[in-house]
Amino acid sequence: MSHPASSLLGASLFKSAAFRLAALQAFLFALAALVLFLVSWLAARNYIEGQLRQDISDEAAEVAVLHANVRADAVRRVLARRPRTPFDYGLFERDHTLIAGDVRQEPAIGWSKVDQREEHARSGGYVRRMLVLATTLDDGRILVVGRDLASVEQLDSLLKRTFTWASLAVVLLALMGGMVTALSYLRRVEVVASAASRIAAGDLGARVAVTRRGDEFDRLAVSLNSMLERIQTLVEGMRQVSSDIAHDLRTPLTHLRQKLETAMQEATSIESYDQACERALADVDGVLETFSALLRITKVESRQRQAGFAEVALSPLLERLADDYRPMLEDDGRMLHTDIAPGVQVHGDALLLTQMVVNLIENALHHTPPGTPVRLKLEALDKLRRVIIEDAGPGIPAHERTRVLKRFVRLDAARTTPGNGLGLALVAAVADLHQIALTLADAGPGLRVQLDFTFPPNISKGVTP
Amino acid sequence: MKILLVEDDIDTRSYVSAGLKARGHCVDESGNGSDGLSRASAQEYDVIILDRMLPSIDGMSVLRSLRNGGAHARILMLTALGDVDARIEGMEAGADDYLGKPFALSELLARLNAISRRGAYTSAATTLQVGDLELDLIAQRVTRAGRQIHLQPREWDLLKYFALHAGEVITRAMLLEHVWGFQSSFQSNLVDTHVCRLRSKIDRDFFGPRLLRTVRGEGYRLCAKQGH
Repeated sequence: MSHPASSLLGASLFKSAAFRLAALQAFLFALAALVLFLVSWLAARNYIEGQLRQDISDEAAEVAVLHANVRADAVRRVLARRPRTPFDYGLFERDHTLIAGDVRQEPAIGWSKVDQREEHARSGGYVRRMLVLATTLDDGRILVVGRDLASVEQLDSLLKRTFTWASLAVVLLALMGGMVTALSYLRRVEVVASAASRIAAGDLGARVAVTRRGDEFDRLAVSLNSMLERIQTLVEGMRQVSSDIAHDLRTPLTHLRQKLETAMQEATSIESYDQACERALADVDGVLETFSALLRITKVESRQRQAGFAEVALSPLLERLADDYRPMLEDDGRMLHTDIAPGVQVHGDALLLTQMVVNLIENALHHTPPGTPVRLKLEALDKLRRVIIEDAGPGIPAHERTRVLKRFVRLDAARTTPGNGLGLALVAAVADLHQIALTLADAGPGLRVQLDFTFPPNISKGVTP
Repeated sequence: MKILLVEDDIDTRSYVSAGLKARGHCVDESGNGSDGLSRASAQEYDVIILDRMLPSIDGMSVLRSLRNGGAHARILMLTALGDVDARIEGMEAGADDYLGKPFALSELLARLNAISRRGAYTSAATTLQVGDLELDLIAQRVTRAGRQIHLQPREWDLLKYFALHAGEVITRAMLLEHVWGFQSSFQSNLVDTHVCRLRSKIDRDFFGPRLLRTVRGEGYRLCAKQGH
């Protein structure tokens, strides 16, 4: 990646949505670790304290079963064996004076925690915390058994230390993960952004690069590209229309100008002026008709797919068109053969579909010699509905079949017949709007136009009963 | 007829106005939507010719306000070239007819005639008569001088439209729109062919005047009287 792009990447990293998400995640992880610590700390503490209480009450019971006379001696003996015994003892007289043991202050009867200051030769003393159990013996004296809580406190600080380091590691890892994600997302977004700025700069052919990963970015790229494809087609269509108008309307307007000029110079009577005016009007009407045909095509091309579509009963529509055009065809000595499957419905715009079929029938009428038979067919096939308009005329050479669908294209043979070269362009536009596959083929001899309605299969209904 | 012409383009307005006055109509002119709307509300007009694109209030809004206000005037909308969707929208909003610019004056006159007579025949009428030609609207039967004539469905529609507007000039574009339901002017002579066939059925084998006649440069007219 180039230098400015990577610096842009660096600057926007901390602002990126992915990084902010990662930071939030790190915070949540830390919170989760804190909860985990509290739960395990409490559990461990409770367990250890429970163990201590068990040990203490066992030891107290053992002292209590001794004979009253030997208890003080026993306590002294055990304490003398320190540090082999973990317990602390205290045997108090009824008047609360200590008889034997190292617990100097008599606590209340039952469980309690006491702090006791211990003198130490070198360090000068410290406070020791003990868990103690005080019970009244059968002779009225008080027995106190206790244990140091140092081990529990050690566990506390161990757990706190572990938690602190672990949560620090979690937060760091989450932040690093966020940075890596943000960077890779930014890199993919950068690809789209750079394509967009190339398009904004005028390169309509620019596309978003698609990797082979097939992930969501690729899906986005593919749909963006197809959108760009459509925009490019529309924009180029617009450019094409402008240049078409410039080229193809100049000719009739030049003719019109010549005729008016000639009339001014040469017309001598009111009648000849009238005739010139009439011809000029006819020329203007021709130009206007070309204009509105162009507008119609542009309108169809720029229309949103499916907008305003409804169920169209195609069979009766074609039957009616056949009835309407049969007289015209027969006047020229042609035969119109129809083979229309009943009850076929398609999804579309009835007016545009009518216009499309009319244009094709009129093409057959205008571009074939009198007497040529014409065939109109509607088939309900397995997955599609097919309309065929076929004539036995001269046909269109294979290499011209794509070109004739463009605006203003007229084959040399058609130069002498009426028309503006927009009929098939409109057919192509309507077909594209309806996602109809339009095929021009050889009818051997003649032209065969095939319209396959394939989309959408779930909406287009088949033969209704 | 008393006509209100609401059109912002001065050239078009004076051209149409002059053409209408020359044929004996009384024309009031207006150059924008709000003025047109207040004039139409203040007075009764037979027909209002309303441009779609107008300054201050556009033609569609004027049309809606008039119809919501219960105005009974016939309304003919004018629209820019080739705007097919606008036609449907206008008719749904209550326009009686729609004409795309640019138009021939004869086309405008023919349409004005047609919409101003519309409704002259009540829906209770079951037969239409033009000379010795009779249409039975219920049985869809046509007879001339007592002899039955067999028509194709489209020929029946065509003849019925002519009979409903007997004596008026009907243009090709009007026939395409109202009989066929096609929106645009096709280049072909579809209308001529059908009118020709219809004429051969109702006129050729009968004595008496020809009923269905061509009006040169304008269209057709179904008429019983001679020299119209």
